[in-house]
Amino acid sequence: MSAYIVSILTEGAIFGIMALGLNVIWGWSGDFDLAYYGYIAVGAYMTLVLTIGPPTAPAHYILGLQLPYPAAVVLAVISSMAVGLVVGLIALRHLRGIYFSIVTLGAVYVMYVFAGQYVPLFDGYNGLSGLFDPMGDWFGLDYLSYQWFLMGLCLVMFGLVLLFMWRLSGSRFGMALRTLREDERAAAAFGRDIYRLKLKGYVLGAGVGGFAGALFAAYLSAFNPSAWSPIEIIVLYAAVLVGGRGNIWGVVLGVFIMGIVVQESTRFLPEVPGHPQIVLALRGVIIGLVLVLFLRFRPQGLLPERRFVDPAPKLEPATRTA
Amino acid sequence: MSASSSTPALEVRGLTKHFGGVYAVEGCSFVAPMGQVTGLIGPNGAGKSTAIDLISGFKLPDSGTVLFKGRALEGLPPHVIARLGLIRTFQAPREWPGLTVLENVVMANWDGGREGFLRGIVGLGTSQRSRAFDELAWAREILEEFGLTQLRNERAGNLSGGQKRLVEFARIRMAQPELVILDEPMGGVNPVLGERMAVAIEAFIASGTSVIVVEHNLPFIQRVTQHVIVMAQGTVIAEGPFESLRSNQDVIDAYLGELVTQ
Repeated sequence: MSAYIVSILTEGAIFGIMALGLNVIWGWSGDFDLAYYGYIAVGAYMTLVLTIGPPTAPAHYILGLQLPYPAAVVLAVISSMAVGLVVGLIALRHLRGIYFSIVTLGAVYVMYVFAGQYVPLFDGYNGLSGLFDPMGDWFGLDYLSYQWFLMGLCLVMFGLVLLFMWRLSGSRFGMALRTLREDERAAAAFGRDIYRLKLKGYVLGAGVGGFAGALFAAYLSAFNPSAWSPIEIIVLYAAVLVGGRGNIWGVVLGVFIMGIVVQESTRFLPEVPGHPQIVLALRGVIIGLVLVLFLRFRPQGLLPERRFVDPAPKLEPATRTA
Repeated sequence: MSASSSTPALEVRGLTKHFGGVYAVEGCSFVAPMGQVTGLIGPNGAGKSTAIDLISGFKLPDSGTVLFKGRALEGLPPHVIARLGLIRTFQAPREWPGLTVLENVVMANWDGGREGFLRGIVGLGTSQRSRAFDELAWAREILEEFGLTQLRNERAGNLSGGQKRLVEFARIRMAQPELVILDEPMGGVNPVLGERMAVAIEAFIASGTSVIVVEHNLPFIQRVTQHVIVMAQGTVIAEGPFESLRSNQDVIDAYLGELVTQ
């Protein structure tokens, strides 16, 4: 049982970082980005090719540098940001709303097919594996204690990302991103460089996604195109929507609800004899149902975006006539 | 008006823009003096709104020049023009609906030094902190001036049409531009609020903001402007004080019709 809780908390923390990155792009900047899972994948792939050894036949992949895990994470995040920059430069120039979404869907599909078909890059559909317990031997951890270590690491990283987002949320930068979401023509009329600002938010989100991917790679110790299914991005959007788009505490709540309650509760459904797939299919049904219900009845989410509440003006203290 | 006429606030020369075969603005030239309220009137389809889009960088002109304080604006993107001190409004109020009234006013002040990404995380130095504090105090003062104090924590999207107009004016006060172009500020505004806006426009002038106002409400134009430009079919057909235009036959034919001649 404790191994189960450890794995849920590790997954939950990684999932939380993913959702917080998406919240920058969709929650604050307001762009429905479908390429986001691609940045997670780039982070995971790059972490693997940078940490594992050179390929041995019949496997093919680039690099294989056996770098220490932290260095690989940094480079993986930079790679995700670079890919995000390229997609953002194209998609954010003039496109908004559904047109932006279509282009990002195209971009992620290109990334997906490329990773799957172009074998010399990440060994195609076989994918990469062999990242075992990164940093574990630094501390001499065995398999079980490593699971605890990784959980702690992911939770601490989640806390740091949360702190970072909390700082950003109340900052002038965060407010400027929101003005773009609310009305970008007005934002431009008051001096905001829409393209540059949106691009900054987008690349930041991609970087956070890549970071989550790097942790994901350590957790899975492998990554391949089947780890990268279209449903994942829907679950992330559902988490942000249910919790409260734009509110980082809402995102945390949404991750808890979608990532843990909805994903895990179906595990306890009774097995239907002869239909082993039905429980997994029900999960998709539940996620879809939650999305529809929230969009219909509470589109602002459980914890709506916070606003700055100015306290009532203080009354001047009565001057003493002593 | 005693304001110097040496450098006008805005000078437009031969501005032209066509969409397909339709010339929305064709050879439009006018001058808006510094320190005055200039009215821009004309029938629907005269090209007033397109002219504003061309001046403020939201559309690119086919040809012509726009000089703001003697500096050429054409080809510059909207945010650069705004940072130079030329702010425009839109026909429909464009508040940031999900932000509060106070946030709407504060964010009207573009502050490049504090809006960077790193500033958001590392935090602000004391000088910037005090700047943020002063800015907030200044925003509260402006809200008080426009009678919006009670609504300061309300999301701007929940306000009535007239209140949104007031928020727009409050944002301009906050931004303190050197020139503001108001696109039909009286749309959907009742007479009492209209008077308040006329007073606000006078306050803009007093605080050093020159004003260009596009409006169909002629009593309002008469009330607030010193100088009026009449556009029709994409070009300027007359200009001068409003009183002088009443008797101008071209203006009557194109716009005023029989309304004013009676």
